[in-house]
Amino acid sequence: MFLYLSSHSHQTDAMHGLVQASRSLHTSSQSLAPVPPLPEKGGQVRHGLIPEEFFQLLYPKTGVTGPYMLGTGLLVYMLSKEIYVINHETFVAASIATVVIYGIKKFGPSVAAFADKLNEEKVAKAQEVKDLAMTSLTQGIENEKKEQWRVDGRSMLFDAKRNNVAMLLETNYRERLHMVTNEVKRRLDYQIALQDLHRRMEQEHMVNWVEKSVVSSITPQQEKESIAKCIADLKALAKTTQARA
Amino acid sequence: MAGRRVALKAIDWVAFAERVPPNQRSMFNALKTRTDGIAAKLASLPETPATIDWSYYKTAVAKAGMVDEFEKKFKALQIPEPVDTQTNAINAQEVEANKSAAAYIEASKGRIAKYEQQLAKFQNMIPFDQMTIEDLNDTFPETKLDKVKHPYWPHKPIADL
Repeated sequence: MFLYLSSHSHQTDAMHGLVQASRSLHTSSQSLAPVPPLPEKGGQVRHGLIPEEFFQLLYPKTGVTGPYMLGTGLLVYMLSKEIYVINHETFVAASIATVVIYGIKKFGPSVAAFADKLNEEKVAKAQEVKDLAMTSLTQGIENEKKEQWRVDGRSMLFDAKRNNVAMLLETNYRERLHMVTNEVKRRLDYQIALQDLHRRMEQEHMVNWVEKSVVSSITPQQEKESIAKCIADLKALAKTTQARA
Repeated sequence: MAGRRVALKAIDWVAFAERVPPNQRSMFNALKTRTDGIAAKLASLPETPATIDWSYYKTAVAKAGMVDEFEKKFKALQIPEPVDTQTNAINAQEVEANKSAAAYIEASKGRIAKYEQQLAKFQNMIPFDQMTIEDLNDTFPETKLDKVKHPYWPHKPIADL
């Protein structure tokens, strides 16, 4: 077998340029094909010892009882011809076999289930890791896409800022307009108020002056005459009222 | 004095709010309140100022020529428009932001590619119950037992069991 392998490796060196290095022919005894999955159950066995294929092999010729007859015949032959000698070891073997078979029959399935459970747990843990990794990766991809979408909205920020600037400028401009108008109006109103004040002061002054001159022009002689006239008028009035009353 | 106005670009605040990431929300709120304040102030000012009734003033003010002079000067007055100093700064900021955004998007795309690569590896993996130990070590190199460093079973420090 080694000679066979070495001759083939010579061939491979010669064909090195023709075949890709990763697919060299027959460089190892392992096949590069994927390993087929292990079968669920092991080979079927009858009585824990004899494979089922043996019974199937003899079935066409000897039917169902064939292998049993063969077994019985062989056993009887070995006992009678003393090819197998019965001694104390036989009884030891028989007792041990009894105990072993009893133990396996009683505890076999539960031990098998326990071992299977251990394996299941390992596989489940690995599966969990895998699922977690996959969900977190998909989540990560989604988050990145969302962030990209968010970044795309950056122009809105700058539009808002420019709008703010424009609004501030417009506000400022309008304020200036208003200020100018108000100031001019205030000055004109001030002039008018000033004029009104002047006129009022002149009026009051004139009135006061006329009053003062009139009062000062009343001479004592005129005062006496006016008082006498008032008294006479009062007397006349008194007479007329007395008469009526 | 004519008032001129560049049209203000309509901003969809709802869509804008959606795009703001949670850690910048306070900044967004501050911007919005500021903008609303400015807009309210603008709306409170009328577009044109109140007109001055020159004829009334001509009759009312006694000083000759004062009103005429005022009127002439008022009509001739040009109020300078305020100078815009910030728009250039904003445009420069926008250019910078575009650059950094492009860089971020590139980096993000790289990250997405990496994630997708790992995702493809997980999706194309053979199921665990069909793997051998060699397959497991190929798929997850961290499970490979270092038989050179720890030549005796269990080939890893006892603490790692």
